[in-house]
Amino acid sequence: MGAVRSARFTRSWSWVAALAAAGLVLPVVVADPFALDIFIRVFLFAFIGVAWNLMGGYAKQLSLGHAAFFGLGAYTSTILLIRFGISPWIGILAGGLVAMAASLPIGALCFRLRGPYFAIATIATAQVLMLLFLKFRDFAWGAEGTTLPNLGDAPLMMQFESRAAYYYIALALLTLGLAITYCIERSWIGFYLVAVGEDEDAAEAVGVDTTKIKRHIYLISAFLTALAGTFYVEYIYFIDPNTAFSFNISVEAALVSIVGGIGTLWGPVVGTVLLEATSALLQSWLGSGHGGVQLTVYSLILIAVILWRPNGLIGLFTDLYQRFTHAGAARAKEVPFDG
Amino acid sequence: MLATLAQAVINGLLIGGIYALVSIGVTLIFGVVKIVNFAQGEFVMIGMYISFFLASSFGVDPLLSLLISMPTLFAIGVLVQHFLIRRVLGLGDMPQIFLTFALSLLLMNVALLLFTANYRTVQTAYSESSFHIGPLYFAVAKLIAFVIAMLLSAVLYLFLHGTDLGKAMRAAAQNREVAMLMGINPDRVFCVAVGVALALAGAAGSLLMPFYPAYPLVGQVFVLMAFVAVVLGTLGNITGALIASLMMGVAESLGVQFVGADSGLIVVFVLLLLTLALRPNGLFGGWAR
Repeated sequence: MGAVRSARFTRSWSWVAALAAAGLVLPVVVADPFALDIFIRVFLFAFIGVAWNLMGGYAKQLSLGHAAFFGLGAYTSTILLIRFGISPWIGILAGGLVAMAASLPIGALCFRLRGPYFAIATIATAQVLMLLFLKFRDFAWGAEGTTLPNLGDAPLMMQFESRAAYYYIALALLTLGLAITYCIERSWIGFYLVAVGEDEDAAEAVGVDTTKIKRHIYLISAFLTALAGTFYVEYIYFIDPNTAFSFNISVEAALVSIVGGIGTLWGPVVGTVLLEATSALLQSWLGSGHGGVQLTVYSLILIAVILWRPNGLIGLFTDLYQRFTHAGAARAKEVPFDG
Repeated sequence: MLATLAQAVINGLLIGGIYALVSIGVTLIFGVVKIVNFAQGEFVMIGMYISFFLASSFGVDPLLSLLISMPTLFAIGVLVQHFLIRRVLGLGDMPQIFLTFALSLLLMNVALLLFTANYRTVQTAYSESSFHIGPLYFAVAKLIAFVIAMLLSAVLYLFLHGTDLGKAMRAAAQNREVAMLMGINPDRVFCVAVGVALALAGAAGSLLMPFYPAYPLVGQVFVLMAFVAVVLGTLGNITGALIASLMMGVAESLGVQFVGADSGLIVVFVLLLLTLALRPNGLFGGWAR
């Protein structure tokens, strides 16, 4: 059995290594900025999904308000950059810390609630933040928002001429998110989270401090989501409350995870790739300017997944993989409860 | 000052009647089927578009089109319950929350595709008219909407307390297993509950049409208000939802009047968060109906 495990270990790591190599080489091969833009979007939304999945997937705390942290990250770094001339490299960390700080009161409020109440309360917190930033006209530019100063090729200020640089940052963020998820999944925290997700009362009864574990994972999830926020505004050079606290961010974070596979390491990545590929195909078929097509298709996919594949589409791939590898079938018999 | 205050309270109460129709629907579905319907606002939107197209194509008065929008939405509700909600009952939070959430996204975006984001309005003879009693103004269209909304709520109350089907619904809400043992068919009861809830949303849409524009995202305004009212009034409690909706309308109106035109929603959200923090079981507790 040890041999089987280690063979499996090597095989799964060779997959990851191949993916990573492909990811690193890609901008050298593909120079088309439009194609790179799609990859950047995929990495970014997969990363937001990964951050959401820590909370929503493993601990089943179904937040619909992660835009709160995305927006706080975006605004913190932008305010530091424009008002104080501080580099977004520092701003991105500051944004993460602000989001962590904000997650404490938001969590204290929302974690008293369960299921749909929790989801509704998180929607409300993100909306309140958006409405507040619409009001902060002097300090945060109110509803008009602001463009970020273009400093040319200034790597120290997170501004680059080449799109490949943004590509590598997005890839690094996604890698960070996946690495954190991987570590958490295999640690005692991961088991506690799954216990909370399965049955909160039972987890409490066997001695899991559910409030504490939820608070901790919320801190991590908020921090990561805020990093995405900073990166996003640095990438599009623009910020306003409707972009930064967009309900669509909260929705996509949950959507990619559920479509891919909730509570799995690779689920958000699979989900994002599928949804973004669908969206790119739709755009090439119909052209842009058909408001509503993309979300219509997304919601149909979401309904289909919920009705027929509630564990996400990642199951399809692992099933196929096992069917095509004889060893997979044998292994499935040998270690039924492993991973 | 006092007149301004009274006027704001009256405006709030009138629109609160519409909120009541939406939130009674949400709370009815939650009470009986144990699902939070995130798509309730979109059914208001559908009701509005039904009335809009009947008015613009056939010149049907929006109030008269209640007779079409309510049965249509009832039928949609039965279908939604039978083909969608029924399949996720007892499956845990994720499918239950995200099914109706996805439905809400779907309906909004299909409406965007079909009808574009343009605001649609219907002008009726009474759309702009108002009368006053002393210093207080009453908009006729809003007053009619409020009165019909209260009548419909009263009819629902009588239905739940006076008919066998209504009693079966309340029984299923209180204890599904025992209700089944008593010979109540839960599938049928659930279909009726969702149908009635959607019919109320459709009614809200038709009643809004003389004085409120229809657009694909219009439901969001009402569903958020309804969630607050439903939580405030204790999930599943119909009288609670009614009273809380009227309170929400007044709170929003006072916010707009005394804090600023764009602060109505902030007031509502802050109320929601305060309620969730201080009285997560709502103001009225228990199962009083």
